[in-house]
Amino acid sequence: MNAVTLRVNGTEVTADVAPRTHLADFVRESLNLTGTHLGCEHGVCGACTMIVDGRPVRSCLSFAVACSGADVRTVESFDDDPVMDLLRHAFSRHHALQCGYCTPGMLATAYDIVTRLPNADEARVREELSGNLCRCTGYVGIVAAIRDVLAHGPHARTVTTKRSARSAQVTTTGWNVAAKIDTDDGHRGRSTGLIPLPARIDGGITLSRAVFVPVPVDRLWTTLHDIDTVAKCLPGASIEEVREDGSVLGAFAVAIGPMRARFTGAAQVSYDVASCSGTVRGAGGDGISRSRADGVIEFRALAAGNQGSKLDIDMTYKLSGPLAQFGRPAVVTHVVDVLLGDFAKNLALASEGETVIASAPVGGGGLVLGTLLAMLRRLFFNDRT
Amino acid sequence: MKPVRFEYAAAASSAAASALLAQVADDAKPIAGGQSLGPMLNLRLARPSALVDVSRASDMRTARDEGDAIFYGGAVTHAEIEDGDVPDATPGWLAAVARRIAYRAVRNRGTIAGSLVHADPAADWVNVLTALGAHVVVARGSAVRTVALCDFFTGPFATVLAHDEVVAGVRVLKRRATARWSYWKFCLKAGDFAKASAAVLRDPERRETRILLGAIERPPVLLDDPLAILQGRRSLADVVTQAAPHLSDEARTLHIAALRRAIALATSDGKPGGGS
Repeated sequence: MNAVTLRVNGTEVTADVAPRTHLADFVRESLNLTGTHLGCEHGVCGACTMIVDGRPVRSCLSFAVACSGADVRTVESFDDDPVMDLLRHAFSRHHALQCGYCTPGMLATAYDIVTRLPNADEARVREELSGNLCRCTGYVGIVAAIRDVLAHGPHARTVTTKRSARSAQVTTTGWNVAAKIDTDDGHRGRSTGLIPLPARIDGGITLSRAVFVPVPVDRLWTTLHDIDTVAKCLPGASIEEVREDGSVLGAFAVAIGPMRARFTGAAQVSYDVASCSGTVRGAGGDGISRSRADGVIEFRALAAGNQGSKLDIDMTYKLSGPLAQFGRPAVVTHVVDVLLGDFAKNLALASEGETVIASAPVGGGGLVLGTLLAMLRRLFFNDRT
Repeated sequence: MKPVRFEYAAAASSAAASALLAQVADDAKPIAGGQSLGPMLNLRLARPSALVDVSRASDMRTARDEGDAIFYGGAVTHAEIEDGDVPDATPGWLAAVARRIAYRAVRNRGTIAGSLVHADPAADWVNVLTALGAHVVVARGSAVRTVALCDFFTGPFATVLAHDEVVAGVRVLKRRATARWSYWKFCLKAGDFAKASAAVLRDPERRETRILLGAIERPPVLLDDPLAILQGRRSLADVVTQAAPHLSDEARTLHIAALRRAIALATSDGKPGGGS
């Protein structure tokens, strides 16, 4: 817990807050100011918009601990505000709300529009409102209400906007030793247990790689047949135990910029000696972000040139859940492409007799594929030979 | 959802922030406005063990005229650039760009350095400031180094920064009204991240011509031989395919259109600056 002092609706408040408590939760849970509504909680819907230091901000994206010294105004504090009074009546007249869930945020944004942009036309009002979603009224009434108030302006804002408010002197606070983080509290890598392997991956993305390996094809094939080595070659993956029956316990992890995910689940490897080929199928869930990954890797060893061989790898994968929403497809594809390239390179090195120290998260163009897939929790070994 | 637990400390300066970062695990991150990192924290896609708040670091809250350039402290917000609370190194170009970043509520907290360090390939400052040839000033303890933005991004969401380095600010060369500029971006809706973007700078005084292809899900690309492109001597389709071969057909079409429109804006007889 960290101590914080700020002004809320004109009253100075001092409280101990957990750093992860955002401003909306703080006013709702600690101060019982439940007029602020939470919608998406990741900055998209605008329902939680409130006035901080005279400016509308996303209270779900503002940590209370970072608002030390700030002047916070929630919807409850505008009862006697003349501009907000005009807006309230205009919203009522123009049917600018139905369920009312978005309304506190709409009012905060509307207040900003009518006081900051006295000459805003309809297009500008709509542009300024684009960060506040309403799922009932279709915006026509909201836009009309704001334009109505604008037409009776200009309006002086009764809350002051001061740049200096955010420039308040801070002294560097040291780390709170008493609040030592327990990194083993399960929040950074909890297992979700086994996830059934899908029969096939619909709508997956397929990437292919081919690398030349300067060893005879039988040596490459021997390497590919060693599950432990194959896992070590897959960046971010690690195997904890290879069992007698061929099933394997392991892990796989990925990072995309600041994003981390750790997938636990199941995987299965099968080989076909006749064609010197094999398949790894895996599925895993990241319990913390509620994301899921499914993947299939098909590999084939072919003779190539004099005493050389070629390794063909096709990988099909599909992400779902928040990571899929956030890690934009083209970015994820780049990450997986880098992963695949390193996997192929590592397999080639292993075939040449190099020791692959392995499972270090991959860096590719600065990307670290380090914690996406603790996927090989249980790897069933199924040798068709 | 709520973020996982983390430790928090506020820094009074970029040097102090760097020192705080050096004291903890290397998954700790600096945070300024938190408008990019915040959603990832709330969705638990980012799980740093500690955050260092630089939003009120004094050297990062200032902007100053350095003669040939303007230095913007890293924690200057988009809204402050939009509103002219800090000087504009250009004839109004930066303010026009700032106004189109996300939404006002986001611009009131989101910062110029936060955007650069987050390194989202679709972000406005990533592309615009690279096109303008800006440099970031990086603090590590009391040491400072300067990195050109064209060398700063190493991949999507990735930069050259070490874990205890903090972008104290951005140095943007001044551009006069004789220079021409355009920035075009395609967004699905107002305030959304760009699907494609392009920027053109023609500065006769500094003898600089730059054309940038942005929002390609990789670091932006400064196109080779920009004069030939402006003079119509190269096919835009070939230029885009060469600069970003990984784009899907659909994305390539959008980028060609963005490039064509940015070039048209920068070479038309209309008033300089503008388009976004």
